[in-house]
Amino acid sequence: MRKRLLTGVIAATVAVTSLVAVSSSQAASIDYSKCTDLKSCGGMDALVKAAQKEGKLNVITIPRDWANYGEALDLFTKAFGIKIADDNPDGSSAYEIQTVKTAPKSKAPDAVDVGITYGADNVNLFAPYKVATWKDIPAQWKEASGRWAGDYYGQIALAYDTSVTKAPKSFADLKDPAFKGQVAIGGDPTGAQEALMSVFAANLASGGTPANIQPGIDYFKGLKASGNFVSVLANGQNLAAGAYKVSFSWDFNGPGAIASAAKIGKTIKYVIPTDAVIKGTPYIMAIPFNAPHPAAARLWSEFLYSQNKGKTSATLGSVKGLSGSKIFASIQGGQNIWISGAAHPITEAAMKTKGLAINPPAGFETPAGATVVLPTPDQQTAAKELLKTQWPNL
Amino acid sequence: MRFKKYSWLPLLPFFLFTGYFLLWPILGVTLRSLHDNHGNWSLSNYTPLLSGAYRHAFVTSIRLSVITSVISSLLGAFFTLVIVKNASSRLTSIIESVAAVFANSGGVPLAFMYIAAFGAEGMFTKILKFFGWDIYAGHFTLFSFTGVVLVYTFFMTPLMIIVFRPAILGLRKEWSEASLNLGATNLTYWRRVAIPILTPSFIGSFFLLFAGAFSAYATARALTVGTVPLVPIIIGTLVDGNVISDQANLGDALAVGMIFVAGIAMIGYIWAQRSAAKWRQS
Repeated sequence: MRKRLLTGVIAATVAVTSLVAVSSSQAASIDYSKCTDLKSCGGMDALVKAAQKEGKLNVITIPRDWANYGEALDLFTKAFGIKIADDNPDGSSAYEIQTVKTAPKSKAPDAVDVGITYGADNVNLFAPYKVATWKDIPAQWKEASGRWAGDYYGQIALAYDTSVTKAPKSFADLKDPAFKGQVAIGGDPTGAQEALMSVFAANLASGGTPANIQPGIDYFKGLKASGNFVSVLANGQNLAAGAYKVSFSWDFNGPGAIASAAKIGKTIKYVIPTDAVIKGTPYIMAIPFNAPHPAAARLWSEFLYSQNKGKTSATLGSVKGLSGSKIFASIQGGQNIWISGAAHPITEAAMKTKGLAINPPAGFETPAGATVVLPTPDQQTAAKELLKTQWPNL
Repeated sequence: MRFKKYSWLPLLPFFLFTGYFLLWPILGVTLRSLHDNHGNWSLSNYTPLLSGAYRHAFVTSIRLSVITSVISSLLGAFFTLVIVKNASSRLTSIIESVAAVFANSGGVPLAFMYIAAFGAEGMFTKILKFFGWDIYAGHFTLFSFTGVVLVYTFFMTPLMIIVFRPAILGLRKEWSEASLNLGATNLTYWRRVAIPILTPSFIGSFFLLFAGAFSAYATARALTVGTVPLVPIIIGTLVDGNVISDQANLGDALAVGMIFVAGIAMIGYIWAQRSAAKWRQS
């Protein structure tokens, strides 16, 4: 009995090994976990073919209503027939990095979308890959060898329930007693990027510079003292309960938030404040070394950075018989999908020069003549240190 | 703890479970807290705990836990007495089930329940306003230290009822009869017999509530967005945030600090349980 089992095991092992040998010899020409740009990946046709063969893409912590990611996921699957698994959509950047480090290979993410410091601090986890539009990404927001790059920014908007007595247009407006008990923030600024940037924006509106956010903290202290600020977490649920009416929010969460508020009979509006336009340092995208679907990961990356104007998931027809590069050229690129979701793609400036940028949704326009300020990573570090001691004692 | 041969076998799953979900993580957290970001052994993560914002967080957490435990244990003990003495068995079982439900409520749902009830546009806020009491006219707000105390008391008082009820049921009728026969008044019976017997159980329950309040996280986080500095919330921003990417080991050190405080509470609990057990023997 034992002997027979052993023979069986040997036979099976031989069979499996020879299978592996056959399949690897077929695709041996290109190692998709190592190729660093479209050319070394064999061109778009080969990349699409290899990605389709993998058939799957693991993404992580991508909420569907965040910066129109839902459309990007749907369009990618519809165009290339690649299934996407999204692990823990509402998780944090820290969770993403932890998963890259500890998840078994089959469940590891193929791409991450994290706060910028998480990229810089974990550069060794990521494989270098430069997308076709690499040169359009500003130098300060990418890693020189291609291990990570910014993908989109947000701007801090005022989001308000239209039942407020007067529509706010600026940070200064919110000091009005009419907003007593109505102003909230989307998290702890030492833990949530959106909240951190809200403090930067309030700071700018209060005459501060990004190098010193004390006036921004004082702004919130003032709002708390006057009773206008409530420390309830600004989210859809609490808005629905009437716990607050005005919050500071990434503009790119607007379309999703407006739609879900409408479902429960609330009308909310987004407005970019007139007294401060803060553009958040971009979130960054990176492909982990141990990505289980390396070709799909690189195709996803090319797709997110594509500046094409084209078909959306709603307008795309059958792609049967089309080559990979034809399909890719026919669909809306990720950079424009972000614009359609009120986000600001990293290559926006180049897209505008080339006339490739589509128009943002109505109501999310940056006020004419506004100076857009981007806090640098160093300024953010200084701000966090200040907030760590002062926010808890607001 | 000595076992007959193989008699420990049925307990094996329990040991595996606690080993994997309790001891193993404690070991991991402790080891990580003793390393700096470059993987070298270091005590540097512990220095920030002794001063400034992090010490303040420990003080705030302990203060919150003590205040809520005192309120909840006193209220809970009082309710338990009233229930045991007066309620019919049917009512008691209803109260027990309700207490069990409330004692296990917590986290974001509990916070939301309070927001929906006592928020600026909450149901009860409106009802009270209708009757002429605007709870937001003064300085009260749900989204503050006081608010968190109120919400914690909501789940801790029922917990007290559950953990303290056995002690009160354990007061034997013979004892009160005996002391009455010996000429004691009801008050003397309570002062000289019942309260001394109940004290260890009361202290034990207090420590249990303390540990629960000390480790609670999501409720306070949903109500304060970090404006009330509690240790678990700060650990959350360090190990599971989107902003601070290089201080997870400091979070681990804070966690070890919490384990230390919770450990003291548990030692107190065990001591109290032992003292209480004296009266259950014989």
